[in-house]
Amino acid sequence: MTSSTAQAEIAPPSAADKQRGVTRRILARAWSYTEMKLAAAVFLLLVALTLFGPLLIDASATKMSVADKFLPPLFMEGGRLPHFLGTDQLGRDLLLRSLVGLRNAFAIGVVSVIGMFILGCAIGIYAGYRGGWVDVILMRLTDVQMSIPVIILAITILGMSRPTAVSIIAVLILASWPVYARVSRGVTLAERQKEYVRAAKILGASDLRIMVRHIAPSILPPIAFVAVLDVARMMIFEAIFGFIGIGIQPPTPTFGTIISAGTQYLLNAWWITIVPGVLLALALGSLNLMGGVLERARNHILQGGE
Amino acid sequence: MAFAIEFFLRRISQGLVIVLLVAFVIFTLLRIVPGDPIRIILGPMTPASVLEQTAKDLGLRDPILVQFGRFVGQVATGDLGRSFIRGLQGGSAGGSQDAAGYNPESRASVAELIGTALPYSLQLAGLGVLFSLLVAVPIGMAAGLRAGKWPDRLGLYVSSLFVSLPNIWVAVVLIFLLSAKADLLPAIGYRGFSYTIIPAMVVAIELSPVMIRAISVSVAANLGEIYYDVGMVRGLSRWTMIFKHVLRNAAVPLLNLFGAQMIGMLLGGLFVVEYIFSYPGVGMLTINAVFQRDFPIIQAVAILASGALVAINMLVDFTSTTIDRRLKF
Repeated sequence: MTSSTAQAEIAPPSAADKQRGVTRRILARAWSYTEMKLAAAVFLLLVALTLFGPLLIDASATKMSVADKFLPPLFMEGGRLPHFLGTDQLGRDLLLRSLVGLRNAFAIGVVSVIGMFILGCAIGIYAGYRGGWVDVILMRLTDVQMSIPVIILAITILGMSRPTAVSIIAVLILASWPVYARVSRGVTLAERQKEYVRAAKILGASDLRIMVRHIAPSILPPIAFVAVLDVARMMIFEAIFGFIGIGIQPPTPTFGTIISAGTQYLLNAWWITIVPGVLLALALGSLNLMGGVLERARNHILQGGE
Repeated sequence: MAFAIEFFLRRISQGLVIVLLVAFVIFTLLRIVPGDPIRIILGPMTPASVLEQTAKDLGLRDPILVQFGRFVGQVATGDLGRSFIRGLQGGSAGGSQDAAGYNPESRASVAELIGTALPYSLQLAGLGVLFSLLVAVPIGMAAGLRAGKWPDRLGLYVSSLFVSLPNIWVAVVLIFLLSAKADLLPAIGYRGFSYTIIPAMVVAIELSPVMIRAISVSVAANLGEIYYDVGMVRGLSRWTMIFKHVLRNAAVPLLNLFGAQMIGMLLGGLFVVEYIFSYPGVGMLTINAVFQRDFPIIQAVAILASGALVAINMLVDFTSTTIDRRLKF
């Protein structure tokens, strides 16, 4: 490290500081919505339930009990403790199964979105910064990837091997990174022209340093707000995979397998499919509402609003 | 004219490269992930030597590039090949049924299988898009015209709600309510047009949030443009401005969205919905083909699906450059 890189640190922080201010303003704006507070409360409650619920309920998500099968939820006649939401066709507690399923879905959703965000944005920033043939090739690659419907890719890879959480996450990342690459490339193209990047360059900062330390911090937060919506989308994919039979394999509960198994008992024990779905929809709803409000707040601030 | 010809020549050549690469990716994936179709074609009781011989005869033991070259040559002549599993009548004919040995001639042609299934998928897609337009256009327009007011909030709520309902669950709930309980509509399989309605509702619920958001954002953005104020100052009525100018200008981003996002979503949605409802379209054909390792069908569907995506994106780009000539391709 020579003095030139030390100087490079002096010039750019003004841009990064400004960005930090923007991020804070977006968050503040979003928080001013009642919907945001409500959604955050529901979301945190659900997260807490998935973490601590299994410890509090005296039942097992995977243990079968023939005597207790097809018990309805507590609010219906015939329901009994500890099975708050009833039991399934094998006498397993539905609330517990849903909570474990929700926890797995959360984990898969969050990890895959972080993965696609990092991969996509890294490729996008690199393509936008380098330009030229690197850019052309990487962007054509996104064209190719985006021309393969997610579900075809997923059933091809997962349907032919024994799916695990890792392979599901890998498929989701593989299928969804191009969107992030496109968006971050677009912003990088504009950002590259800005004063602070030129300044950093003149001061002798390396390309990698400019990309990682200067461009990334200023363009990524606005993209990250919208990624919240993708967590919900990935959770839906996880449920779909489970339903088709290419998700995490039984006996580990997932929403997809709970719902698909329950369809056979729809007439006599509708709660097996309907009730866990409500829980999933609640989780997705809180995520989507937060994402939607964040997106609005971001657009509002970036368009010059207060 | 010259513009159009140049545009299409350039985009078609790019599109062909993309489809070729997609085909290669799927082709390679099918052959490197575990799962040998030969065992399903011939059944579990077949001796290993026969398995190997048939695999060799089918060319499945050649290097992937050689196989791919042969496949592309075959597709270029318009032949999508024959299914590994499905017999001429369309049913599965795998396993021990042809103990005398595997005879490709006894299998259905992939083009015919897809040709039979495609109209069903198009019908479902068409009805699904129609339903979602019926929901999204009024809500989206109202939200865009009254940005920040209650219709805007309504738009946010409806789209947040719909986007939070997993299609598999919505499908089961609708089957339960409309079919099993109320007995209003049939749900599983296909024996007439009414079998399309519930699946189309599921597709519509999946599509409409994106539409609502896109319509409201682009309408609201156009209301903020200077031309809108200028029109109002010139004395044009609000509704003239909206129907003559705002809608036209809002159409460009909407079309783009339709190409980039909706077609992909629609395709994915169709696959899942057809599977849930045992609806005899291309989606169900493909999902079954995956589970039966029926490579020719999967390859053909992947090529056609990506070809459709590329073609629709091309048309969308062409239409938006025609609506707004400032856009370059």
